[in-house]
Amino acid sequence: MAGSGSAHLRDDQQPLLRVEDMVVNFAGTGGRTVHAVSGISFDLLEGETLGLVGESGCGKSTTGKAVLQVPAPTSGSIQLDGVELTTLGPEAMRRTRSALQMIFQDPISSLNPRRSILDVVAEPRYIWWEEEEGRPPTSIWFEKIGALFQSVAAVLLRPVRMVAPLAALAMVLWVASEAVEDRALEGALAWLDIPARIVGFPVLAILVIALGALGVLGLVWLLAAAMVPFGAVSRLVGSVSAGVGVAGVAFALAIAVYQFAVTRSSFGRLAHWLTTGLLVVLAAVLAIWLVAAVMKPERAGASGVAAALAAFVLLQLRYIASQDGTLWGDAGDGFLGLGSERPGKLLVLVAAVAVDLVIIRVVRRRLAEQRAAVRDRVEPEVRRVLETVGINPDNALDRRPYEFSGGQAQRISIARALIMNPKVIICDEPVSALDVSVQAQILNLLEEMKREYGLTLVFIAHDLAVVKNVSDRVAVMYLGKMCEVGDPDRLYEAPAHPYTQLLLSAIPHPDPSIDPMGLDRLDGELPSPMDPPSGCRFRTRCPHAAERCAAEEPMLREISPGQFVACHFPLVGEEGA
Amino acid sequence: MTGSSTSMLEVADLRTQFATPAGALTAVDGVSFTLERGRALGVVGESGSGKSVMSRSIMRLLPKSNVSSTGTVNFDGTDLMSLGPKELRELWGPEISMVFQDPLGSLNPVMTIGRQVAEGLRVHLGVSKKEARSTALNLLREVGIPEPQRRLDEYPHQLSGGMRQRVVIAIALACSPKLLIADEPTTALDVTVQAQILDLIQAERQSREMSLILITHDLGVVAGRTDHIIVMYAGRIVETAPTSVLFSEMRHPYTEALLRSIPKIEYASHTRLDIIPGSPPDMINPPSGCKFAARCRYASEQCSTEEPPLVAAGSPEHQFRCFFPVGSDEGKAALERNIAEGRVSETGVVIGEIGG
Repeated sequence: MAGSGSAHLRDDQQPLLRVEDMVVNFAGTGGRTVHAVSGISFDLLEGETLGLVGESGCGKSTTGKAVLQVPAPTSGSIQLDGVELTTLGPEAMRRTRSALQMIFQDPISSLNPRRSILDVVAEPRYIWWEEEEGRPPTSIWFEKIGALFQSVAAVLLRPVRMVAPLAALAMVLWVASEAVEDRALEGALAWLDIPARIVGFPVLAILVIALGALGVLGLVWLLAAAMVPFGAVSRLVGSVSAGVGVAGVAFALAIAVYQFAVTRSSFGRLAHWLTTGLLVVLAAVLAIWLVAAVMKPERAGASGVAAALAAFVLLQLRYIASQDGTLWGDAGDGFLGLGSERPGKLLVLVAAVAVDLVIIRVVRRRLAEQRAAVRDRVEPEVRRVLETVGINPDNALDRRPYEFSGGQAQRISIARALIMNPKVIICDEPVSALDVSVQAQILNLLEEMKREYGLTLVFIAHDLAVVKNVSDRVAVMYLGKMCEVGDPDRLYEAPAHPYTQLLLSAIPHPDPSIDPMGLDRLDGELPSPMDPPSGCRFRTRCPHAAERCAAEEPMLREISPGQFVACHFPLVGEEGA
Repeated sequence: MTGSSTSMLEVADLRTQFATPAGALTAVDGVSFTLERGRALGVVGESGSGKSVMSRSIMRLLPKSNVSSTGTVNFDGTDLMSLGPKELRELWGPEISMVFQDPLGSLNPVMTIGRQVAEGLRVHLGVSKKEARSTALNLLREVGIPEPQRRLDEYPHQLSGGMRQRVVIAIALACSPKLLIADEPTTALDVTVQAQILDLIQAERQSREMSLILITHDLGVVAGRTDHIIVMYAGRIVETAPTSVLFSEMRHPYTEALLRSIPKIEYASHTRLDIIPGSPPDMINPPSGCKFAARCRYASEQCSTEEPPLVAAGSPEHQFRCFFPVGSDEGKAALERNIAEGRVSETGVVIGEIGG
């Protein structure tokens, strides 16, 4: 048993979800392949519940995740409502995923402990509410450009990070050699005369150079960080109109031209062009971000704030440096110009950063206001789903997930899955971590939700009694293959696959007159999916295995109406058909 | 299980409290029972019913600060409550040992399996390193681990969940304890592996004539594998009976509700399960009267004011704590009254407050 085949697919009934010949392989140790799922097929009609049963390691969770394309299967076809998911692009798949929700085994760890229940349940709506309102078509182009920027930045960032410490060291050596040559450092440190007398000049010089190195290192890091959010910035702009984008670019160009016109470089022509070019890009990012953030603050994330700050600091440093061609100031002015009568460069820098922080605060406040507005709009919906899953929203909205028991947290997970009105929910062992009494509550709730919302469910579990309770169709899996598919009542009355029968006999019976020691047991362990047995994968543990099982893989075939089995020697005769 | 000369463990009026910022939390409240040599006792209840705290109180495994445990625990003629840390360490292993729920959490990840199994033998029985290793090998073989020779030098992460639990059992059995406490030993495991592990524990108990306390939330797990069952709720024993009697003549509504909430394989698919509504009570400020009243379909006003005592039903071995027991005329009348008042639905599910 445990074979392939697609005889059980019901293409004539227009299934909502149709998976055919799906294979999921992972890279194992030593260059070997883990055959997690090897050619399974199943389909789901609208409003149906499919139970996937099997032991740990049989590939049932991998199957559930592969349907969501996390990760995408190695091969095979997955169709949702006639749309092939395996060939969708990343953005189209992201959109499709809102119709495919998931409920996980451990309810507490699948909810973010730092967020309130309101935010936890409303999160998918925060992400999607803007999309639902419709966006200008130009935004798509901005997003594409953003994605390009992001991939370029990702490639650039790695060497920048590696080179940063070397660059900092080179900078320090360069400054030190200059200082030795002109005795400039001594002059620069004039204002530190008294401390120098106390600790000695060499120690102080090393300290100052070390501080300078740290500063350079920090600058390089800021620069690297500023390159990351290109994609975020373009997405931000994408959500605003094209006019704003053009205005932002124009502003950026203006800044760049001004920069180029007023600066004179002491680093030579090529360095001048390079640094100016870099600044143009940074200024563009900054300007677009600023305009967009003021218009659509809910899309300006923390990385945008960091990028803007970095760009500001760099621009101002550049400006300061351009005044007399040095970053550190003239020797006569003392360190960072503090000794001069004009306002010190350091003071200018500090003042500029302070202004930036004020701007960022304003944007942050607008961001919070915007979030609150979205929250107010989504809150009635959150209250409604929480009520339907049996959680009192008045007590729950402001609390955190860890304040709830396992059963309550699982109800909240179900509410979060429901809020997007999904077509299909994949429940991955949703009751395995719960007490029997709570398990019954959750199973009943899932049935109610299915009636109320017309849900289609994939219910993954290892306990056949639990699966039978909720399923319209049950598929038994073993080591990445399908063993038996059928109507739950029929499957339990007359299991055709030896594995199904052994799974059934493992269920604990709350009846002391049954001696559990007298029942058939599944011995041994699951074989390694890196080296699955030939032919039928279950043969190594099957009490009925024969030579044919090792040589030939059984295919799923119908042995009675609606009951399909992949076994050469099924326990139920075909004459029953 | 009446007290007699063959009793292995006698627990009387065990009470464990935790000091919390909100007040004293009574996790175990006056539990008494007796376990005879070679017998198996099942302890059943939901999360928070005090069953794990009870077993740790008996083992004296609870922390010293903010915990107070009173009552008597007499194990094979020794009063465990009076023992000091050194004497307790001599007791854990050769006398009483424990199997916990999470096998990965109870094994040392940086120590080979062979050393972990042999550790108890070396410390308690003082055997040589070589001898301990060969005994460990036999133990691994006994608990059904394939290729035990190779496994001796492997680490816990290299084993599956079921195999790890077998190793934990091998460690627990190493010094041939007289009493094994298994606290939800199979809750983290698949049904197929659960059946294997429970079979293993049962076979070992019978061949070693060891006493067993099996703690679980699933009545299905203890049904065919214990001689006597204690049902706990809110830190108290609500029903105690020999296993066959408990299933055939259960009296407490909580026992009935626990049994009815299990999805049974015989049920047709989409059968609505009988749930226990709500959750266990706050143990810092427990409700007056019967602690289960708010979730009970038989409850009346008497239940919320007066706490029912533990009374015998039929034989002295079968005791329960309820004014309106399941299967009695009072119980039937109480249920009918609750349905008529709309507190309980036609199908027997609690939907309202007592007296509401």
